[in-house]
Amino acid sequence: MAVAPRQVFAKDAVPRLKRTATNLIILGQLLFVAGTGALMYFTNVFLVYPEAAIAILLLQAIVGTIIAIVTYHINAQPLKDLMAAIIHASGEPSAQTPPNPNETRFAKNGFKDALQIIYALASKTPDSQEPTTAKDTATGLSTPTVTPDQTHSLIETALNETICGFVVMDHQRKITFANKAAPVNIDQSGASQLSLLFNGNDTLNAWLDECEKSAVHAEHTWVRIPNKLPEDENRRFFDVIASYDKGAESEVVLTLVDRTDQYSAGEQELDFIAFAAHELRGPITVIRGYLDVLQDELKDVLRDDQSELFRRLTVSANRLSSYINNILNTSRYDRRHLKMHLTETSLADVYDTIRDDMNLRSSAQGRLLSVDIPTDLPHIAADQASLGEVIGNLIDNAIKYSNEGGAINAKATVKGESVELAIEDHGIGMPGNVVSNLFQKFYRSHRSRETVAGTGIGLYISKAIVESHGGTINVSSEDGKGSTFTISLPTYQSVADKLKAGDNNNEGLIDHQKGWINNHSMFRG
Amino acid sequence: MAIKTILIIEDDRFIGEMYVRSLKKADYDVDWMVDGNDGLIAARNKTYDLILLDVMLPERRGSDILMALRGGTEDLIPHSKVLILTNFEQDDESRLAMEKHANGYLIKAEITPSKLLAVIQQLG
Repeated sequence: MAVAPRQVFAKDAVPRLKRTATNLIILGQLLFVAGTGALMYFTNVFLVYPEAAIAILLLQAIVGTIIAIVTYHINAQPLKDLMAAIIHASGEPSAQTPPNPNETRFAKNGFKDALQIIYALASKTPDSQEPTTAKDTATGLSTPTVTPDQTHSLIETALNETICGFVVMDHQRKITFANKAAPVNIDQSGASQLSLLFNGNDTLNAWLDECEKSAVHAEHTWVRIPNKLPEDENRRFFDVIASYDKGAESEVVLTLVDRTDQYSAGEQELDFIAFAAHELRGPITVIRGYLDVLQDELKDVLRDDQSELFRRLTVSANRLSSYINNILNTSRYDRRHLKMHLTETSLADVYDTIRDDMNLRSSAQGRLLSVDIPTDLPHIAADQASLGEVIGNLIDNAIKYSNEGGAINAKATVKGESVELAIEDHGIGMPGNVVSNLFQKFYRSHRSRETVAGTGIGLYISKAIVESHGGTINVSSEDGKGSTFTISLPTYQSVADKLKAGDNNNEGLIDHQKGWINNHSMFRG
Repeated sequence: MAIKTILIIEDDRFIGEMYVRSLKKADYDVDWMVDGNDGLIAARNKTYDLILLDVMLPERRGSDILMALRGGTEDLIPHSKVLILTNFEQDDESRLAMEKHANGYLIKAEITPSKLLAVIQQLG
């Protein structure tokens, strides 16, 4: 429907037709008059009645021309109307008023339908519009008469009035449009930048990298993404929905739903939990500290049964400390503050940081803990303290859900590009329906509620930590026979490039100073 | 250089006394300050081999003390090591800022006096 190439206009066809018809009429009339004249000459009419012959010829020329012109007009008018309609529909510039199909003559000559079909076809084609008021009255359509510019500003005004953020980016990830509600700031070079603090490695850019490699169309949602740090004023939370369309002008479209009201209430609650847990750590420091001191200083005077009481105190204080770490980690994870400082380490080294504590806990509670973590396994990328807490949680669970004298086996193996640690107990186990809910926050099976104390956040936070390492956690269990929890972590080799290229969440890996002491779990016990 | 003199800046009386007792028993020369201002003055008036620095302190926070001592163009305590000892875990940004100027960052609840002695030996 667009203007034809080489600037040949459709409207030029009608004058061309008219010229041809005029030439034909003139030629026809000349031939006819000449023929009649010749006939009259040879039949001697010309000589006998010269005045009459000239009158006949004149009359013939005039009447014939009039008849020819009238015939031409009767036949050419519908054609002209159709052409005018087509020209109008094509958007070709024209001074002509397009024909109105509602005129009675179109109803009479049967072209009303034809015109309406042309207009209907034209209105379906999005790029054909050069809308004019005439067209709309002509077609009888009641669409508002707006130009594309007007539509654009109408949409822009509407977008600026909504509380949802909209951001459009081109294939270079440059922001080409952002409405008022979108959390965008202008950097020093004058370019717009999104201010969103994504959680860990699950960022918009990481997702776009992935899309560019392997997707044509893709969508992704992030929830509870803040635009500022917790202390900053006017901090807002968004659910971010991104759609990616390879090669499109607007390759990336982000919709940001402002959920600040909903999330900030929970935020304060979580702040309270974090502060409360920190307060609890003070007394625990003193209890654990003096237990350690007294055990050492009294070791020559304590009877065996009294030493056992001391061990129980120590185990209890250590467990209390682990629970507080779980609560703090959960609160940070739920606020999207839990960050892993991944460094190259071995599973054996991680276990060394909790070995004494685990031996003490298992022996004090009469379990036979055997740990087989070969020192020559491939290295992993881990946050030592957090991973130590995960293993501690799993062994703690194995102790909780097994019986006195039960064996607990922890065994590490290499599986392809992962290192696996399986922790197996021979305790009460779980039926299948329990297993599927196990990693949910605050989940406790009906039976464990009755028999074992606990908060139900240990596995929840363990899963979160393992997944933040790029690993997985799984469980297999048989009711009455025991459970096996398996954590699988990628080898350092398989993730090293990604970590080094990654954002500054992994500074520990890049700036790892030898002899630097930042790993508190190294000294747990 | 073996560590001999230690400054403790810690406002919790029980925790402070606990560290002082164990460190003195291990023959270290120990000074203990309870608030942040006194701690900063002590650190500037005498050269310590090691400063054990709490974060949540009255008058002046541990992070401010550290920045005052090491955050400027000149390191005011070039001969001292600094261990941050806290129970309040910072958000990442301020924690990283502190780690840059310190030799270690430990959670008090996870450290018993004997572990602390082991860490100090390792630093020395």
